[in-house]
Amino acid sequence: MQPARALRVLCDADVDFVVIGGVSATFHGSARVTYDLDICYARTSTNLRRLAEALAPFHPRPRGFPAELPFVWKKTLRTDIGEIDLLAEVAGLGSFADLQQHSITVHAFDRQFATLDLPALIQAKRAAGREKDLSALPELESLLEAGDL
Amino acid sequence: MKTLRPLTPEQLARAEAALLHPSPGSRIEAAKNYGVDLTLLVEQLRLTPDERARKLELASTALEEVRGIARRRS
Repeated sequence: MQPARALRVLCDADVDFVVIGGVSATFHGSARVTYDLDICYARTSTNLRRLAEALAPFHPRPRGFPAELPFVWKKTLRTDIGEIDLLAEVAGLGSFADLQQHSITVHAFDRQFATLDLPALIQAKRAAGREKDLSALPELESLLEAGDL
Repeated sequence: MKTLRPLTPEQLARAEAALLHPSPGSRIEAAKNYGVDLTLLVEQLRLTPDERARKLELASTALEEVRGIARRRS
């Protein structure tokens, strides 16, 4: 995974997005390793065009399908710069507009962009309900408690 | 929009104390009992958000290489 390259590309293309998932957890202090970049994007036509144009040079293709199949724009992509999950809505939080209410700015990889705040990230993980999301909760709740003291 | 900043020395000292000596009944104690290595969290909190992200990129790249080797051998 090359989150640095992916995030720089998205920022430089003026894509409206919020970083969610494991990379967001890392910004907050999680020690878990993640292998994909999850973002929630604004579903405007302009933003969709920017998003598609930004990722096009990195040969996005549906994850888990043979590379020779015709390209289909899916929310889970494998690209030359790593796996990227694109979500228009996040369970427990809502759309990009809703996420903006629960986001903070982070400076990383020589860019600045939005990521979920820690309480919202915990809410999203809990709402997602998958084993891998639920198993991240003890660590994230510890970080929240340690920061609140 | 607020900005995620590195912890100040005072914030880091409080967080370290809480993580390394969890209060009984706290979520931190529950995480320790669950198996979370709290010393790793202290190590992460000493870094800036940018440093944490760069460390993740290095770790994920290294682990992907290992996974690739394992796949090729199986």
